Amino acid sequence: MAAVAALPDDVARVALELPLRANLSALDNIALIPLYQRHYDAAESTRQAQAMLDQLGYAEIALLRDPDMTPAQRFVTQLARALILKRPRLVIDRPGAMLYDVPYPAFIGQLASRADMTGTWEIYDFSWNQVLYNQALDSE
Amino acid sequence: MNFLAASIESLGAKVVGWFTVGYAMFAFLAQAGLLLLDRTTWNRATFNVVIKQVYFTAVQILHVFLGYTLVISWLIISIILSTARDFGLTAFASEMTIRVLVLELLPFLTALFVALRSGSAINTEVALMQVNNELDALAHCKVPPMQFEFLPRLIGGVVSVVILAGLAGLLALLMGYLAIYGIGTAGFEPYTQTIAKIFDFTILAGLIVKCALFGLAVTLIPVTAGLETPKKLFMVPVSVLRGMMRVFFAIVTIEVVSLALKYV
Repeated sequence: MAAVAALPDDVARVALELPLRANLSALDNIALIPLYQRHYDAAESTRQAQAMLDQLGYAEIALLRDPDMTPAQRFVTQLARALILKRPRLVIDRPGAMLYDVPYPAFIGQLASRADMTGTWEIYDFSWNQVLYNQALDSE
Repeated sequence: MNFLAASIESLGAKVVGWFTVGYAMFAFLAQAGLLLLDRTTWNRATFNVVIKQVYFTAVQILHVFLGYTLVISWLIISIILSTARDFGLTAFASEMTIRVLVLELLPFLTALFVALRSGSAINTEVALMQVNNELDALAHCKVPPMQFEFLPRLIGGVVSVVILAGLAGLLALLMGYLAIYGIGTAGFEPYTQTIAKIFDFTILAGLIVKCALFGLAVTLIPVTAGLETPKKLFMVPVSVLRGMMRVFFAIVTIEVVSLALKYV
C-alpha cells in the first residue's frame, strides 16, 4: 500500500490516512479546494461544494463535522473532496477500512453511477476482499 | 567517570535540542514572514480566516477580559495610592500607576491570558492535526496549511494581544484618573501632562513592539510545538506541556528584556 501513498500529483486519493479537517463541516472541507486552489470567493466555493454533495445524494450532511458523521457519510465527504480536485485519476485506498458500516463495493458502485467524473476510478484493496467485488458485480 | 560522561552527554543532548527547537521556530517564522510579503497570500480566504482568528482570540473574550482588567487595575491602583500616601509620595502616584500598570503589568497579564486561553488551544489543535494526518490531507489537496491554518493564527495572535493590551491600558488610565482625581475635570490637565511625559515616541513604540512580540510568542511557539508532535496520540499532552512551558519562558524573557532596556 506504500505504492498508493506515493502516487503522483495527478491522482486524487480517498484514504483513511487522509482524513477531513475535524473542526470544519463537510461543506467547508470540500469548499476549501475551490477557495484555495482556484481562488473562487467563499460563496461560490460553498455553492460548488454543496452541488457536489447534492450530486452524490448526500446534501443533508453539509453541516456535519467529522465526529458527527457515520462512516458512510465521512466517506462520501472525502470522496466529494477528491472529486472536486478534478484530477484525472481517483484512487480509493482500502475502502473497507473506512466503510465498515455498509456493503462497500455496492455502495461505491452507486456513488460512481451518480458522480459526474470524466477520469477513472481505481480501488486498491486486499486480495482476500476480491470476493466482495465479485458478489457486487454478480448482483448487478 | 561514567557519571561525568553521562552528565556531559545529557547536557549536550539538551543544548542540541534547544538549538533544534530554536532553529525550527525561526525557520517557521522566516517562512511566515516571506509568505506575508507575497501578494498571493492576501486573498479573500486568508483574510476571512484572520478575521475569524481575531474574533475567537480577542472579541469573544472581551467582556471577561475587561472585567478582569477592571478588578486588577482597581486593586493595583488602590495599593499604589495607599502606599504613596503612607510615604508622602502622592505627587508621583499617577506616574507610578501608569508605569506599573499600562507599561508593564497589563501587557504581561494580557499575554498570559491569551496564552492560557488561545495558545494552549492552538497547541492542542495543531498537535492533533499532526497526529491525525490532517496536515497531510491538506497537502494532498494542495491547500497550503501555512496560509490556511498557521499564518492567520500568528496574525490573529499579534493583532489580538496588541488590541487587548491597548484597551486594558486605556481602561487602567481611566481608572487611575478616577481613583486619583475623582469624577470631575480638575485633574485633567496634570494627568494628561503626566501621560504625555511618559509616552514619548520610544516608549510608545517599545510598548507596541513588546505587545506584538508577546502576541507572536503565544501563537508561534504553540504552532511549532504542535508541529513537532510525533504521530502518537499519547504525545499530544506532552506537546502542549512543552509548548506552554516555552511560551511562559518566552513571555518572561520578553518582559525582562523590555524592563532592562527601559530601566537598566
